[in-house]
Amino acid sequence: MTAWMEINGKTVFTGGKIAFEDAAREAENCPFFSEDCEDELFCDDETSCYNCRYRRWTAESFECMKRCPK
Amino acid sequence: MKLFVCIDDTDNYDSIGTGELLENMMGEAAIKGLAKSGFTVRYQLYIHEDIPYTSHNSSMCCTAEATDLEAFTEFCENYLEENSAEGSDPGLCVLPDDENLDYSSLIAFGKRAQNEVLTKKDAYDAAESFPGEIHLSEHGGTGGGIIGALAGAALHAGKEEGRIKGKLQPLLNKPGWSLSEFASVYGVARFIDEDGNEITENLSIRFVHPTKLFFSKGQVTAVIVNENGSYMPKPKIKKNKEKSQ
Repeated sequence: MTAWMEINGKTVFTGGKIAFEDAAREAENCPFFSEDCEDELFCDDETSCYNCRYRRWTAESFECMKRCPK
Repeated sequence: MKLFVCIDDTDNYDSIGTGELLENMMGEAAIKGLAKSGFTVRYQLYIHEDIPYTSHNSSMCCTAEATDLEAFTEFCENYLEENSAEGSDPGLCVLPDDENLDYSSLIAFGKRAQNEVLTKKDAYDAAESFPGEIHLSEHGGTGGGIIGALAGAALHAGKEEGRIKGKLQPLLNKPGWSLSEFASVYGVARFIDEDGNEITENLSIRFVHPTKLFFSKGQVTAVIVNENGSYMPKPKIKKNKEKSQ
């Protein structure tokens, strides 16, 4: 299963807000991961897309601001 | 004069966050003798694709006590213009903290901002309907930050729930506390369990890990948990590789 899908030109995480293992794995393998400020951390994982400053929350999931749509 | 000071939309992906900017601004205001500030509360606003937030659409508000309102407000305006991030849309709200004022129309606006897409006009209309003095100003870009700034100040004035910025760090040489001692030293007014039930018993706790505080029912609130038979403020520790859920 791919972790990303393109919606209206945006790269959106397919796991919504509950795929903690997928978000951690993606962040581990991402050259752009950068932890957001402490007050905006979403989960307890050290490295996770959910805690990345380049994620932009949407109603259902988040958009990655560093991944270009394929 | 007691105030609520709130700013919003001051950041971009590579800058410091709005909460840090607010703390820096208030720190400089203190150095200049313009105001003393209290803790900063984060309010979550509505997440919607039509709202141009950077990443999470939260608003940061603190309480303050200013010696000269006009000078303090002018300082904040200049600070935002000089220090907000490129491409941001900063807004500032300075609202009096006065128990004789009726904040109900503003609180209604703040709650709307948590549940619907609002415009700058909505913010100006809400500010105009407020019976007291209020400062609302735009400082670059679209100035859309006034929406979140007004909402944050209004929610704080309404004692709505929010997260207090930062973590409370333990004093390393004192792990054991009674709740009353802890309250007195750390300025915590209220204790609840993880289900939100009030704790009134003067429990003995261990405070060895950082914890997050909350603004709830108008009071600084700590969550107390029981871990392996010991009561403690709920630890805020990041896990490395270990999954949280």
